[in-house]
Amino acid sequence: MTAIAPEQRLLNLILGLSNTRHRLTRAQIRDSIEGYAPAPSGADEETAAAADSAFERMFERDKKALRELGIPLETVVDPAHGDEIGYRIRPAEAAMPPLELTAAELAVVGLAADYWQDAALGTDARQAVMKLASSAEHGPRVELPFAGRATRVQDAVAALIEAVADRQAVRFEYSSASGGTGTRTLEPWKVVFRGGVAYVVGHDRDREDARIFRVQRIGGAVRRVGDPGAYAIPEEIPLGLLAAAHTSHTATVALRPESGHALRRRGRAVGVESGWDLVEVDYTHDDALRAEVLALGGAARIVTPRHLALAVERHAAAALEVGRG
Amino acid sequence: MAETSRDRLVRLLGIVTYLDHHGSTPFAELAEHFGVAPAQVRKDISTLWTSGLPGYMHGDLIDFDADAFDRDVAALLDGQGVAQVRLSSREAVALVASLSTLASSGVAPEVVDAVLDKLREALAEPVIVLAEGDGADAGVSEPLMEALRRYRRVELTYVDALDRRTTREVDPHRLVVIDGVGYLECFCRRADDYRTLRLDRIEAVEVLDAAVSTPPGDSAGFSLTPAFRATVRLGRAGRWALEDIPGLTVEDAEDDVIATFDAADAEWVAGRLLAVAPQLRSVEPAQLRGALHRQAQAVLDAHRA
Repeated sequence: MTAIAPEQRLLNLILGLSNTRHRLTRAQIRDSIEGYAPAPSGADEETAAAADSAFERMFERDKKALRELGIPLETVVDPAHGDEIGYRIRPAEAAMPPLELTAAELAVVGLAADYWQDAALGTDARQAVMKLASSAEHGPRVELPFAGRATRVQDAVAALIEAVADRQAVRFEYSSASGGTGTRTLEPWKVVFRGGVAYVVGHDRDREDARIFRVQRIGGAVRRVGDPGAYAIPEEIPLGLLAAAHTSHTATVALRPESGHALRRRGRAVGVESGWDLVEVDYTHDDALRAEVLALGGAARIVTPRHLALAVERHAAAALEVGRG
Repeated sequence: MAETSRDRLVRLLGIVTYLDHHGSTPFAELAEHFGVAPAQVRKDISTLWTSGLPGYMHGDLIDFDADAFDRDVAALLDGQGVAQVRLSSREAVALVASLSTLASSGVAPEVVDAVLDKLREALAEPVIVLAEGDGADAGVSEPLMEALRRYRRVELTYVDALDRRTTREVDPHRLVVIDGVGYLECFCRRADDYRTLRLDRIEAVEVLDAAVSTPPGDSAGFSLTPAFRATVRLGRAGRWALEDIPGLTVEDAEDDVIATFDAADAEWVAGRLLAVAPQLRSVEPAQLRGALHRQAQAVLDAHRA
């Protein structure tokens, strides 16, 4: 028998498990699915043991590959056969629902895959495009004067999605604008995207409450802790957290004429005071408005609230020190 | 990039599914549809032909018409129930998230919404929760899309990152969404060069009668030429403020991080550094330190006036 490529072995495995009347045990898989080497007959104990463990490793890899492909692999225990585990695939659960994408729709899906560039999600997205292409109509290439890309997607997003799928807690280092840096342990429920920014929402084990984190502010690796299946994801996820993180305050900012255009567009002119235009702006985060005013380098001044004006001064004073070198 | 066995498996499943839907198909069309060479399609069909159900005898295997195969046409006789498999949760999240990000930018083609609807309907369990972004100002995006459709030049009022307002004529080429923010790739006649302009910094757009007369640029994205390399050491708690700088590398250094990046404009970078000033430990080169010092002084003067 010539060697069979891994993809052909996997194809045979999918077909075998989808067409079995009841289930296939590991031994049946090994003996009947083309691509696995059957247990050697009449071999000495050592050779047989080596072949056994080679099969086990190969089958574990293949199970993982099927899971990563999105194929639900069902384990079936048969009381008549002791505790030996069997496997099967239910074709209706594994199959892609019919989508019938048009050529233009398929072109857009391709653009969406390009968005991730080389991030780990890019590989997943390109594989998804291939799957969707299977039932899409074939047409001439559609060129659109449109493209998208992400420059700062971290592989942390992919790691968090997997952890959500496995219901397994994660630990990571998190630095926030207000709370400094610390280690967080989270039971992740969902990854949420809002305007190109990824968040993860879940149960924070240390704070014993639901929390939302901006994935970009995770430093270093996302490590798994504990066992898979360790918690349930609530039916209703309190996305109000995301809204709560966007409660609005109002500040009055003084702007030099012909400057602070972005603030003027968002805000409302409320008067003039000794050469400064006064503008009221709504804002969500202290740090964002503080940064915006600082970046205008003297062409803007915070009038109220007072604590924000003082924070701007503190930052400028600190920068003055560093700037002296 | 070398093809993985997973990539090929997905294509093998896809070819059978495609033939199921569309009937016999020339290798050339399959090759174009799945983005591979016709010779690869021939190999794929041969692999499929020898795959099937345990027993692997005639009748157990996936079967094709041999005469058609000799004419470079794939004609499926028996698919043995092979069908493309559904999206994994990572695949579904990857696609839905990027499509939604493109859609919420407010400048995506309408067909994006159609695809999202189809995907959301097909994904039995909604794998992701999405909130809408703020979107682009329709007063800006609509005339731009019209100009792109009709290949017309436009006049823009634009406020740059250093808060300077200008009016310029540009040849619009393409709308790009970078990290959820919409940009216009264009040729700016004022700068006589290619530019990528942030849509939310465009205040007004007027579509002109003149036609676009420049070809699209080769490189997507930013066309700023880096002027110097900046090295900034700062406390870990401050790293968030720099993370959206293009081309940033960050190394851990005890309780700090060292961020290195190419910068085009010292004034702009200094403005960003002010946001995390209490975390700053050192800033290189001297040119950047000078800009930081100048701006910090200006902020203090304004507030203590």
